[in-house]
Amino acid sequence: MSEAKKPNKLRRSLFTIFFMFAVTLVFIAALSLIYVLTRDTIRLNESLVLKRAVLYVAGLEVPQTGIEADALYQERVKEVKDQGGSVLYYEILDSPGGAVQSYVVPVLGAGLWGEIGSVVGVEKDLKTLTGIEFIKQNETPGLGGRITESWFKEQFRGKRWPLSVVPEGDPAGDQEFQAITGATNTTNGIRDILNNRLARAEQAIQASQ
Amino acid sequence: MKSYKFRQVFKENVGINNPVFVQILGICSTLAVTNVLKNTVVMCAGLVFVTGLSNLTVSILRKYIPGRIRMMVETLIIAAYVIIVDVVLKAFIPDISRQLGPYVGLIITNCIIMGRAEAFALSNPPTLSLVDGLSSGLGYSYVLLIIAFLRELLGSGAIWGFRVLGDWWTNWNIMIMAPGAFFMLALFIWVVKGNFMKEKQTASASPQAVSAGSPQPASAGGKS
Repeated sequence: MSEAKKPNKLRRSLFTIFFMFAVTLVFIAALSLIYVLTRDTIRLNESLVLKRAVLYVAGLEVPQTGIEADALYQERVKEVKDQGGSVLYYEILDSPGGAVQSYVVPVLGAGLWGEIGSVVGVEKDLKTLTGIEFIKQNETPGLGGRITESWFKEQFRGKRWPLSVVPEGDPAGDQEFQAITGATNTTNGIRDILNNRLARAEQAIQASQ
Repeated sequence: MKSYKFRQVFKENVGINNPVFVQILGICSTLAVTNVLKNTVVMCAGLVFVTGLSNLTVSILRKYIPGRIRMMVETLIIAAYVIIVDVVLKAFIPDISRQLGPYVGLIITNCIIMGRAEAFALSNPPTLSLVDGLSSGLGYSYVLLIIAFLRELLGSGAIWGFRVLGDWWTNWNIMIMAPGAFFMLALFIWVVKGNFMKEKQTASASPQAVSAGSPQPASAGGKS
């Protein structure tokens, strides 16, 4: 009895393995196809997030479509890289191939829950801000997460660092910005990140000229 | 007979055996993505797509899948569909994809999908399984949409990103945070069970109402 059963059992085990392979193969093939078809669009979308942010903080009008935004970026933005190939800062040109009009600096630092990644635009004097955009943040939704709201970002245009904080809703001078109520740590984090990183960026930009 | 069965399955998944407020499945995403209506709609569309098609695929293959590896096969099928949803979102609506973050990938772990594949698709024909998957997805979706509508309204004074309540309205920050979802979901279950499901309570108490292989033995009347 047991000898008669053996080949049957073996065949069933082999079928199980074969079945798993076959199903995996079919689904992997389908997924690969979809991946290849959408790869370029996804890559473009990802690079556009940063490009749009750079254009926005430089005070330029960001076009609606991705292709136009990409074209404007190519014309007006020059990436200045270090030896490692990562971007130190961006030069914004006043016309395609023209003179430098302002700078955009990538600014990273600690928020309350995690790293806050942003790009900040500064005038040629390296003191006056032209704008800020947050690219990566994990702050509390509804509290610290409000840093991505446009009233908060827009208030930085024309401000000069070193910055300090005033309560939300109070009038702010040209070296002050309004805090977010209930998000003291996030607000102070941003103040410190901006003051430290912009000072460092100032040195870096001056050194490379 | 057949259309009766379809209607029966539909009614169970949307109403008396609803995955969210009766079986209490899929709560992770119920809490996570319901703070803004727009994200919820995308999430729900993704989930309906995955439950429907994974149920259909599992059902088509059900006579060939060896019993011992059925879980592996089900997970593989579900994962494949979830990746499709993720890729499509990234390619065509990148902004919402960024806001939903890891939650799209986490559709894989949504108990509703695996539960329907195990409990229903493995023992029912493809069309009926498709209807079961889609209606489970819809049963999940409308609950989430109601919760998201209320949370966005109370938490941001807005609907679909447009401010509808005037300046007199003070936003309830707690509604945007995860605890707000707990309150809203609990209130929702309370209202629904207290007002619409009273007469069914005797049915769920009887032992033979336990559906075969259902991941939630307490579910009411799942004799599909």
